[in-house]
Amino acid sequence: MILVMDVGNLEMLLGVVEGKELKGSWKMTTDSSKTSDEIGSTLVRFLRFDGILPAEIEDVVISSVVPPMMYALVRGVEKYLGVTPLVVDYQIKSNIIINMKNPSELASDRLVKMMAAFALYGGPVMVVDYGTATTYDVVDREGHFVTGITAPGVTVCAESLSSKTAQLPEIEIKRPESIFCRDIVSCIQAGVYYGHVGEAKYLIDRVKRELDLPDMKVVATGGMAHVMNEGNDLFDVIDSTLTIRGLAICYEQNKDEMHGRRGQDGSGR
Amino acid sequence: MVLAVDVGNTNMTIGLFEGSQLLHTWRMSTQILKTSDEIGITLCSFLENAETKKEEVEGVVIGSVVPPMMYSLCHGIRKYLGKEPMVVSADLKLDLVIVRDNPKTAGIDRVVDLVAAKELYGMPAIVVDYGTANTFDVVNEKGEFITGFITAGIKSCAAQLYEKSSRLPQVELVAPQTVRATNTVDSLQIGIVAGHIGETIHIIETLKKELHLPQAKVIATGGLAQIMDPEGEIFDVYDPTLTLQGLRIIYEKNKGMAQ
Repeated sequence: MILVMDVGNLEMLLGVVEGKELKGSWKMTTDSSKTSDEIGSTLVRFLRFDGILPAEIEDVVISSVVPPMMYALVRGVEKYLGVTPLVVDYQIKSNIIINMKNPSELASDRLVKMMAAFALYGGPVMVVDYGTATTYDVVDREGHFVTGITAPGVTVCAESLSSKTAQLPEIEIKRPESIFCRDIVSCIQAGVYYGHVGEAKYLIDRVKRELDLPDMKVVATGGMAHVMNEGNDLFDVIDSTLTIRGLAICYEQNKDEMHGRRGQDGSGR
Repeated sequence: MVLAVDVGNTNMTIGLFEGSQLLHTWRMSTQILKTSDEIGITLCSFLENAETKKEEVEGVVIGSVVPPMMYSLCHGIRKYLGKEPMVVSADLKLDLVIVRDNPKTAGIDRVVDLVAAKELYGMPAIVVDYGTANTFDVVNEKGEFITGFITAGIKSCAAQLYEKSSRLPQVELVAPQTVRATNTVDSLQIGIVAGHIGETIHIIETLKKELHLPQAKVIATGGLAQIMDPEGEIFDVYDPTLTLQGLRIIYEKNKGMAQ
């Protein structure tokens, strides 16, 4: 069994995979003040809760967009699981052809999701990921990464209204019941919902048209995907396991090289 | 002459009117720590630059969405301009019916914009105001403010994103030519700017369709309205002075009345 971890700006998504089977998944708050002991002992408790023994974990794979989180996380995994984790970066071997001037600008979580979408659904495919940022990444039929778009996330936008204005409250994000907004909460709910549906619709249409990909599939993941798709037909697939499955694919394709690299820089056991 | 003050969350915009003609505009940052003396003296120096004596200002009208700013602002106006400002609220004569559970809670900037749109451009109208928050508000053919949406402002949600993510650079807000991005700056510019263009188009379409107002005139105002519509296809009118005109119109409607 392997443990995969995706460290996002708000949350860390953890999953245990055996072959193609997902044995369990959990979330932990991303908080760079957490100690390696807190992280490690929580990990062990998560595993035990689903009946997995720490000794069953052969390898740990991490992709992260939060560098300050990594030290405590790596130490915690080493101390409590007895495994040195493999860290995914843009240099890993993948089924995606990246033609960027500076490939290190491509966040590893986005690469991982594209790998999963291309392997599972085929190209051309767009991955829409609702997180701190909403990202729209596109892989063409041959597996080239053709564009990656980053917009402020749905929750981030809603938070900016309460944090940067004097009179607007925090709201629950949901599809409004009526087009007629009779109070401030429904005005914001309608704006955030219709605004982000409009963003997705427009960017999907423009990418299909400008990049000449009329048959592009759209795969959505992340917390808001279901809310945004309600009442619309924005996405072909909603796959909440895309990241975990991508990391598992990534592990299969790279385990030998990653173990090798780990050995070379002296950090292996 | 009339001085109109639009207090937004980021800036105060101040306009000097002679009749319906806007002679001068100025901006002051909205900082609730500012004292009445600082505000008053700044207003005096603005007027001096316009070679206008404070005695020539017959009245001051304020529309504000920042309550904590009001004490110093009103006091500064009283002390340095010698006028009691008219503060716009739902209690004034607006000739606009606010259809809400509690009309007094409608953002006053939105009400002011709709009054201006109705009087200057006719009804029905959709007013899109780009600011710290973006607002999309509808006045129907009967002069009723029937609904409105609020979304995150272009700069504010970008700023919030930079605060919340550890690896993104700040980018200039310009309209991208293509949706093809293979570096971080292009990626963010398309996401932020084209994302908001998509937001604008979809919300206007939804409002026109669901409210059965296909003929509604779309009037845009606010700093970033122009980058939202580079082809001039989305808005019927761009009027950067809409809010100040609305304040002036409300002043005219109410000046004779006891406050």
